Amino acid sequence: MTAPKIVGFICDWSIDIGPLLSGNRLRDLPHVYIIRVPCSGFVRPGWLEDALNQGADGVFVTGCPYGDCLNREGNFLMRDRVDQLQRRLQRRRIDPARMAMLAHGLHDRTEFLADVQAFSDRLSEIATARTTSAPSAEPAPAPGGSS
Amino acid sequence: MSMTAAPPNRYGRLMTSLLRVTLRLDTFINKIYPTDFNPLYYTGGLSNLFLFVLVLSGIFLFFYYEASLGVAFESVRYISQDVPYGGIIRGVHRYAADGFIVGILLHLFRNWFTDRYLFSRDNPWISGMFLLLFGGFIGFTGYQLVWDERAQLLTSMFIAMLRSIPAVGEPLARVFLGGEGIGEGTLVRILFLHIVPASTLYVMLWWHYLRLRHPKIWPPGVWVLFVLGIVFLLAGVIPAISGQPATPSARPTSFPLDVFFMLPFWLLNWLSPGVVVFLSVVLFAAGLAVPYFSRRETVADMGVRHAGVAQVIDGNCTGCELCYFDCPYNAIIMVPSPGPGLSKAAANRTLLAVVLESRCVECGICIGACPFEALELPKFMERDVQAHITNAVQPTQA
Amino acid sequence: MHALYGMGIVVLSGLGLLFAAGIIIGEATDQWFLGGALIGALLITYSFIILLLRKMGMIGPRKAER
Repeated sequence: MTAPKIVGFICDWSIDIGPLLSGNRLRDLPHVYIIRVPCSGFVRPGWLEDALNQGADGVFVTGCPYGDCLNREGNFLMRDRVDQLQRRLQRRRIDPARMAMLAHGLHDRTEFLADVQAFSDRLSEIATARTTSAPSAEPAPAPGGSS
Repeated sequence: MSMTAAPPNRYGRLMTSLLRVTLRLDTFINKIYPTDFNPLYYTGGLSNLFLFVLVLSGIFLFFYYEASLGVAFESVRYISQDVPYGGIIRGVHRYAADGFIVGILLHLFRNWFTDRYLFSRDNPWISGMFLLLFGGFIGFTGYQLVWDERAQLLTSMFIAMLRSIPAVGEPLARVFLGGEGIGEGTLVRILFLHIVPASTLYVMLWWHYLRLRHPKIWPPGVWVLFVLGIVFLLAGVIPAISGQPATPSARPTSFPLDVFFMLPFWLLNWLSPGVVVFLSVVLFAAGLAVPYFSRRETVADMGVRHAGVAQVIDGNCTGCELCYFDCPYNAIIMVPSPGPGLSKAAANRTLLAVVLESRCVECGICIGACPFEALELPKFMERDVQAHITNAVQPTQA
Repeated sequence: MHALYGMGIVVLSGLGLLFAAGIIIGEATDQWFLGGALIGALLITYSFIILLLRKMGMIGPRKAER
C-alpha cells in the first residue's frame, strides 16, 4: 500500500518550512511535495485541479492563521476558493476530502505536521475504501482520471 | 518564512529574533482565544476603539470645561465630583488615552517586527508615525488642561524644551503661551491644541487606510466589550484625580508620572531640554526611516516572496474584475479596454485590468483570483508552478 | 470541557446579575464611582461569557471566516 501522493502549497510567510524540508519534500513525510508560494492567495484553484488530474491523491494549501495573513486577506480568499473547488469537483465525483486548506503560524510546526499526517491518513482511507469496493460496482473511470 | 538562510547581518538577526518572539506570543494567546478573537491581530482596531471612546468622552468633558486660568481647575473638579458620572467619564477619558497609546505601540511593534511595512505599505507606516506623534502631543495637552501643579510643571518644562530649539524656539514658545509668560490666552491655546490635533487624527487615519482594502478598523465584539469594561472599571476603582491647583506662586518640583505620555519630561531629570528635543527628533526620524532602511532579509533570502510586481497579460484579460476585487492593497484598477483581447474569452471585453506598480506588494493574490491566466509574477510564473506540479507527481523512490 | 464552559457561563451570568443590581444601587444612592466601576465589571463579564459561548461552539466564526 503505497503512501498517497500529496502536493502542498505553503505560504512562505506562514510557517517556517525550511527546516522541515529535504529537497522539495517533507523530511518526515516524503510522499508530500512542497511548493512555496508568496501568499496562500497566490494559488490558482486550477493548479490544485491540475495536481489532482496529473496523479496526486491529495492537495492542500497552507496559509497564515485566520486574521494574521501578512497580506491581510489571502488566507480567507484561498479558503473560499478551496470551498468552491471542492463543490465544483464533487460533480466529477472527486472526494472533497482530497483538497484541504490549513492555517498555521510561524511556530506551529508540530500542529502542521500533525495536520498533514491526518490528511495523509484520510487519503489512505479513501484509497483503501475505493479498492475494497466490489469490482463490478466500480464506475467507469471519469475522463481526466480521478486516480 | 525562510529562516534557514542566515540573515546577512546583526540587524537582520535581531529583527528575526524579534519576529519569532512576536509570533511566539500568538501561540499562547491562540490557546485561549480562537484566532479571530486574538487581540494582537486587531491592534489597529483596538487603537481605533480607544480613539472613539476618547472622542465621545471628550465631547462630554468639553461641555463642562472652562479654559480660563482661574476657573479651569474648578471646572474639572465640578465635572469629577458634582456632575453625575462625570468622574467616571473623566476617568474613562484618562484611561482610554493610555489604552490608545498602548494600542498604537503594540500596533507599531507588531507591524515592524512582522515585516508589514514593505513595498507600498510605507504609506500606512509614515502616516502611523504621525498618528503616534500627534497622539502623544494630544495626551500631553490633555494633562495640561487640568491646570493643577503637574500641568504647571509640564508647561514650564515644555516651554524650556521649545526655547532650546535654535532660531524658532523663542517665537514658538510665545505662540504657545500667547505672550511672554503664562497668561489668560494660554489655556485657550492649549485647548485648541488638544481638540484640533484630535480632529486631524481622523484626516491622518484616512491617509493611513488609503492603500488598504477592508481595513480592520474595529476589533471583535469580545474585545469591544472588554475594552469598554476595563476603562469603566478602572475609572471607578482608581478615579482620575487632579493634584493641587496651579497658582502663580507655586513652585512644584515633582509630579506623578504617566509613562505613556511623559517620558520625555522624565528624561529632563538628567538631560537638558535641548538634548531631549534632539533625541526625540532623532527617534522620530529613525521611525520614519524604517520602511526604507529596515531590511530583515536580503532580496535573495526572500525568494518567492519577492517575485516581482504583478504583470497583466493584456491578451488574456477579459475584464472580469476578480483581481480588482481581491487585491488587498487597491493596486489594481479597471480601465476601459483600448481594444479587444487576443484570446476568445477576451475578445469582447469592455474593461482591462491595470496594476499600479507602486502599490503592488508582490503577494500574488491577483494571480490566484484570475481564471484566465491574465496575471503573472515575473519570477514565479504559471509554467514554474506547472513544472513543480509535474515534479511532484513523479513516482518517488520506494 | 463542555460542561466546564457551561458552568462558567452560569457563574458569570450570576455575577453579571449581581453587578447589574449593584449598578442600580449605585445609581439610587448617588455613588457614581461604584456604579461606573460595576458597569465596567459587567461589560467584562459579558465579554467572557461570549468567549465561553464561542469555545462551546454555540456561536461560530463570522460567515466570511467559516
